[in-house]
Amino acid sequence: MLRTVICDLARLRLSGSTSPAAVLVTQVREKGHLSRPRLRNPYWFIRKERTQTDDLVTGENRSFIKEVVHDTYGKPALIKGIQTYEQKQLIKTPVAPTDIEPWTPAVRRCGLIARKIGQYPLWLKNGERVRTTLLQVVDNHVVKYIPPGEYTPAQRPRVKHLDRYGCVLVGAESTNPALLTKEYCGIFRDSGVMPTKNLARFIVSPQAALAPGTPLNVGHFRVGEFVDVRGKTVDHGFQGVVKRHGFKGMPASHGVTKTHRRPGNIGGGGEKGRVWPGTKMPGHMGNRWRIIKGLRIWRINTKYNVMWVQGSAVPGSTNGLVYIYDTVLPLRKPKEAPPFPTLYETEDDAPEDIWYDQVHNFKDETITYKPE
Amino acid sequence: MAAATKLLKKSLGAFTQIQQCRSNANLSASTSVGQRNELFNQEQRRQRDAVGRIEKIEVRYLGLPEDVTLIMNNNISTPFNCAQHLSEGHCKRSALALVDGSVPWDMHRPLQESCTLQLLNFNISEPHVVNKAFWRTCSFMLGAALQRAFRQEANLQLHSFPGPNIKSGSFVHDIVLGVQNWVPTKAEMRAISAEMVKLAAQDLRIERLEVDHELAKEMFKDSRYKSEQLPSIAQQNQSRVTLYRLGEHIDISRGPMVASTRFLGKCTVSAAHKLANEGPSSAFYRIQGVALPIGFALNHLAYGLLEQRAQKLNSARMPNEPFEEQRQMQLS
Repeated sequence: MLRTVICDLARLRLSGSTSPAAVLVTQVREKGHLSRPRLRNPYWFIRKERTQTDDLVTGENRSFIKEVVHDTYGKPALIKGIQTYEQKQLIKTPVAPTDIEPWTPAVRRCGLIARKIGQYPLWLKNGERVRTTLLQVVDNHVVKYIPPGEYTPAQRPRVKHLDRYGCVLVGAESTNPALLTKEYCGIFRDSGVMPTKNLARFIVSPQAALAPGTPLNVGHFRVGEFVDVRGKTVDHGFQGVVKRHGFKGMPASHGVTKTHRRPGNIGGGGEKGRVWPGTKMPGHMGNRWRIIKGLRIWRINTKYNVMWVQGSAVPGSTNGLVYIYDTVLPLRKPKEAPPFPTLYETEDDAPEDIWYDQVHNFKDETITYKPE
Repeated sequence: MAAATKLLKKSLGAFTQIQQCRSNANLSASTSVGQRNELFNQEQRRQRDAVGRIEKIEVRYLGLPEDVTLIMNNNISTPFNCAQHLSEGHCKRSALALVDGSVPWDMHRPLQESCTLQLLNFNISEPHVVNKAFWRTCSFMLGAALQRAFRQEANLQLHSFPGPNIKSGSFVHDIVLGVQNWVPTKAEMRAISAEMVKLAAQDLRIERLEVDHELAKEMFKDSRYKSEQLPSIAQQNQSRVTLYRLGEHIDISRGPMVASTRFLGKCTVSAAHKLANEGPSSAFYRIQGVALPIGFALNHLAYGLLEQRAQKLNSARMPNEPFEEQRQMQLS
């Protein structure tokens, strides 16, 4: 962070016997960190993707391997709008466990992995227009449950009394295991779930434990309830203070010289006459994990596993991954029991589209106002 | 059972390996293996000296980069020496030689007359001959790996290995162990596979030597099963026995082997099936494995299928059953 530059090298050479105080040094301050966040995973992280090599396999053998994959995991199929496999050996009609403890507001449930697929307006019955973001739950399956005693992550999450909670490992978007490393596929070996592209850990209470292989759908949440959505924000790169911190800048004309989008003053004087740490300045913006809390679910589509959540501020770009949790905001927590531990779907169950009471269903007649 | 499971040596890092090397060296100097190697060396030197006046032969090399005629020494020059005249790449890549278009020839076996020569590697369009040689070499290497892996208490005796059959899914080596209830654990199987990989890393040359029936009897006088097999082997081959050496391990085999152990790529020793009891306290075991040559990358899914297949009992001729000589001629 601090570099010393010796200004007068000539004098240094000649004055070898003189004291160092005679030599001029300049302190150069550097920022002490990399320009953009560069991910260096710990050594114990399992590598996910294999280096793709030209496997010298005959055409016959290639189709045989495909056949084996289809026999193990089922044929490729379009399930709820996602290209995935049939997953024959998993619970086709999952039966809810008979000995579930009843839900209490203190219990933590599992979450879901979804993709942000777009934005759309919805109208309420009073004519108000609401901006919503569509999140599609992409082929989630429970891979593993780790009970409270055994769950000791290397990087502890900021949860009070973590030793009382277990961990549900959820996978999203099944892929061909040949494209992944053997160690990564080993995570899925016990449960028999087809290896997935994405994994997420959800901290849950032991009462909300889920059996490996359970599919998770959007019905896990209900319309009208609130969720927290975590995603990685759009990477804007190096940005100035106006965009990054919302500074007003200066006027475009009226004699303003060379200062239109600059920060202006960066500190005062006096005893603490220095730039304070944390002063807002230009720098890298975005590509950070952010959680947006308390978003209401306005509408759910069970056919394509899509939910419409309030607002347009869901972090990330379109088709980016997000993680959905039950909200932590105390005033928006549910008063009635949600599907606990999750919704176990049967064939002829929920209607395709579930709208919140206040939302105007597009298939209904138009909202009309009587002139007053 | 507890005694049976402790048959394999545990390798606890470099220090133990050095100790093992030293103890191996001490053992071999004084035991039958050392004597066998001495006799092998002596016979090799004798055969080299017996050539006498060096005569020249014309070896017509056919292949890349161009067809050339090489003048080599009769009964001294090997296909490997011809490859040395071509390039280092030829030396490293060639696993087997093909003489006169049809006779598979070991790379380190002296040529006996003027001929045409082709150098075979694993990437040619018709690799059947090289593949068979590779499979045979894997069986041979498995014997060497088992010798290194088992402890003295196991009373390991190598019996033989049947001819290569790639379609069966595994290469095989039959052994006799001094216990009747050995069920290998996963760690033990991995240890034997590791020994195979170590042999491959050492890049040991595989040398061929044709010896008289009498000398072979002298070399293998300590091995009960080899001594039993030698008369029938010699009878088929005009009283000559073909021996192959890899490091310090010497074994009897008919067909060609690849040039060196470095051609072994991915390798797994997959199963050890008990075949039959032998005497009051020993039993026959069939050790099976599967391997790919170097330069062949395969995803874990496909290789897993090969490993699963290699676990099934190989149906090659059993060592304890009466020996059908004619079938052995066909298979080898």
